[in-house]
Amino acid sequence: MSSVRLSDIPRTTSFRLALLFLGLVGTGAVVLFGFLYVETAGFLARDVDSGLAREVSVRAPKSAAELERLFNERAPLDPEGRRPFALFDRAGSWIAGTRATLPEPLPPLDNAFDFTLSRADKPVSYRGFLHRLPSGELLLVAEDITQIHHFQRLLAASMLSGGLVVLVLGLVGGMMVGAGAAGRIESVTQAIERIIDGDLSGRLPSGRRGGDLNRLIRVVNRMLDENERLMREVKGVTEDIAHDLRTPLTRLLAGLERAHRRAGSVDEYAAAVDEAIAETKGVLATFGALLRIAEIEAGARKAGFARLDLDIVVADVAELYEPVAESKGIAFSRESDRRDSGVEIAGDPSLMFEAIGNLVDNAIKFTPAGGRVILRTFEASDRLGIEVSDTGPGIPELERDAVLRRFHRVEKCRHTPGSGLGLSLVAAVAKLHGLNLAIEDARPGCRVRLWRDGAVVPAA
Amino acid sequence: MTRVLVIEDDRRTSAEIAAALGDHGFDVECAYNGRDGLLKATAEKYDAVVLDRMLPGDLDGLGVLATLRTIGIETPVLILSALSAVDERVRGLRAGGDDYLTKPFEFVELTARLEVLIRRQTAPQRETALRVGDLQIDLLTRDVRRAGQPIELLPREYRLLEYLMRHAGRVVTRTMLFEEVWGYHYDPQTNVIDVHVGRLRRKLEEGGLSQMIHTVRGSGYVLRPTE
Repeated sequence: MSSVRLSDIPRTTSFRLALLFLGLVGTGAVVLFGFLYVETAGFLARDVDSGLAREVSVRAPKSAAELERLFNERAPLDPEGRRPFALFDRAGSWIAGTRATLPEPLPPLDNAFDFTLSRADKPVSYRGFLHRLPSGELLLVAEDITQIHHFQRLLAASMLSGGLVVLVLGLVGGMMVGAGAAGRIESVTQAIERIIDGDLSGRLPSGRRGGDLNRLIRVVNRMLDENERLMREVKGVTEDIAHDLRTPLTRLLAGLERAHRRAGSVDEYAAAVDEAIAETKGVLATFGALLRIAEIEAGARKAGFARLDLDIVVADVAELYEPVAESKGIAFSRESDRRDSGVEIAGDPSLMFEAIGNLVDNAIKFTPAGGRVILRTFEASDRLGIEVSDTGPGIPELERDAVLRRFHRVEKCRHTPGSGLGLSLVAAVAKLHGLNLAIEDARPGCRVRLWRDGAVVPAA
Repeated sequence: MTRVLVIEDDRRTSAEIAAALGDHGFDVECAYNGRDGLLKATAEKYDAVVLDRMLPGDLDGLGVLATLRTIGIETPVLILSALSAVDERVRGLRAGGDDYLTKPFEFVELTARLEVLIRRQTAPQRETALRVGDLQIDLLTRDVRRAGQPIELLPREYRLLEYLMRHAGRVVTRTMLFEEVWGYHYDPQTNVIDVHVGRLRRKLEEGGLSQMIHTVRGSGYVLRPTE
C-alpha cells in the first residue's frame, strides 16, 4: 500500500462518513443521557419532596408545645443532621429541634425548597419544607441532599467521560477507515495513471476481500481487458493496412515513374495511365471494404434491418455465382434440407447477400477446376443457417481464427487475387446479425457454416 | 444541350466533376455553397443537379434538396457523399434525392447514373416493346428476337437485356446493373457481372451475328445497334 498523507484523510469520503455517523450517534447519546439524567434526578428530588410533605402532614396537627418537646427529644438522635426538624416562633427565631436559622428571605410556605446550612463549618445542601402552625409558629422539616447531589454529579461525570470515549473512538476509527480508503484510492489512482501513461497491460489492484470497491475494480479491469484487446486489434489492423496499401501504392508509383522515364508514345503513356487507374481502383476498393467492415462492426447498419427470407437470398446468390463456377469448370449445386421454405430472419438483405456471396466467391476462387462447391441451407431442431463447402485446399486448423481477421490470407493463396477482407466482412456481418460462424474441415476442402441458434420464426 | 448544375464546395473536386461532365457533353454550371446552389437551381432550368451532401454554412446538401422539393422543383438530384452508411443513403433518398453516390466514385459511374436520371425524366416508360437495331423484345410476352430469330433467355438475362436496351447507347456500370437487375446494394468487386453479361452476349451473337454489348474500358457496358 502506498503512503497516505495525514492531511489527506479528512478529505476522504470514508472519513467524512465516519464523522457523520459519529455526529448522529453522538447526538442520539446526548439526548438519551440527558433524558436519563433529568428523569433520574427528578425522581430522586420528587422522592425527597414527598417524604418531607408526609413528615409535615404528620406533625402539623400537633400543638406547638408538643412539637417543641418532640423535637427536643429527637434532635440528639440525629447528630449528623441528616433529617433536621426545627420549630421557629412567629418572628422566625429558633425554639426547638435541630439548631438552624431560617433562610432569608423566607421561601414560600408549604413548598419544597433548597437551602444551605453550615454544619461543622461546612456548607451542606438541604431540601426543606416550611409550614406555619395555626398558632403562628413555623415548622421546618429538611433532609440532607448531599448524597443526591453527589449521585447527580457522578451520573453527569460518567456520561461525559463515556461521551468522550465514544468521540475519541469514533475519530480514531474514522481516521483509520479514511486512511484505509485513501490508501486504496491512492493505489488505484497510481495504477490508472500508469495505464494512461501507456502501460496497456496494467490493471487496478483488487483487494482480497469483497466489497463495493473491489466489485468496481473487477468491472473496470474487465473493461481494461477489452480495451487492451481492441487496442491491439487496431494496432494490428493499422499495420496490416500499412502493409497491404503500401504494396499497391508502391507499384502505382513505380509504374508512373517508369512511364515518366521510358514512355515515348501516346500509347505507352495511355497504357501507364490505365495501369495506374487499375491500381488506384484496387486501393480504393480495399479502403471501401475496410470502411464497410468498420461500419458493420459499429452496428450502424442495424437501421437497415428488415425481415428477410433466407431462401430468396440464397437462391439469388446461387443464381449470381452459378455461371462463374461453370466458367471455371466447377460443379456448383444448391441443396436444402429445410422442412419448409420461407423462413425469415431479421437482417439487412444486401449484407446477407454480400456475406453469403463472399463465401461462395471464396469457395469458387480456391477450388481447382473439376471440383465441387455446394451451397446448402439447413434447419435442424433449433438451428437455421447456411453452409458453403468446397473441394479446395481447405484452411489449416491453426489458421481458422486468423482468416477472419482483416487482410489475413493463407500463405499458399497469396497469389490469388483478393483483398483478404472477404472473410472478415462475413465475420462482421455474422456478428451484426447474431449468427455463429464456423470454419470446418470438409475432408477434402473447406466448409463454412453460418447459422442461428434458437427457435425458428415462420414467415408471416 | 443537357444542363447540369454541380453544387460542391471543394473547388478542385468541383472542377474535376465539371471537366468530366463537360467531356461527356453536358453543359455544366457550378455553385460552391448551398445558398448559391439553391438560387441557381430555382432561377434557371437544369436537367439534373449533382449535390454534395456536406456543404459549408447553414444550408447543407439535404437542406438544399428539401427546399427545392418543397417549392416544387422536381429536377433529378444525384447526391454525392462521403458518408457510405446505408441509413445515410436512405436519408438522402427520402429527402427527395433520386440517386446517391459515395465518394470516392468513378466518373464513368457519375455520368452513367446522370444519364439514367435525365432519361427517366424525359422518357416515360410506357412502351410495350423495345427495339435496338435488329434486336427487339416484347415487354408483355417477354419474347426476344434478333434478326427475326427467337432467343431463349433465363429470367435474369431477360432483365439484364431489358435494362441494357432501355439505356441503349449509354454506358451502364456494373454497380448500376447489380442494383437494378439483382436488387442488392453493394459493389460486388469481382467479375461475376461480367460472366452474366458474357452469357447474354453469346446468346445474342449466336449464329455469327455481330456484337451488340460492348465492354467500356473502366467499369461498364453499352448496348449499341450494329452499324
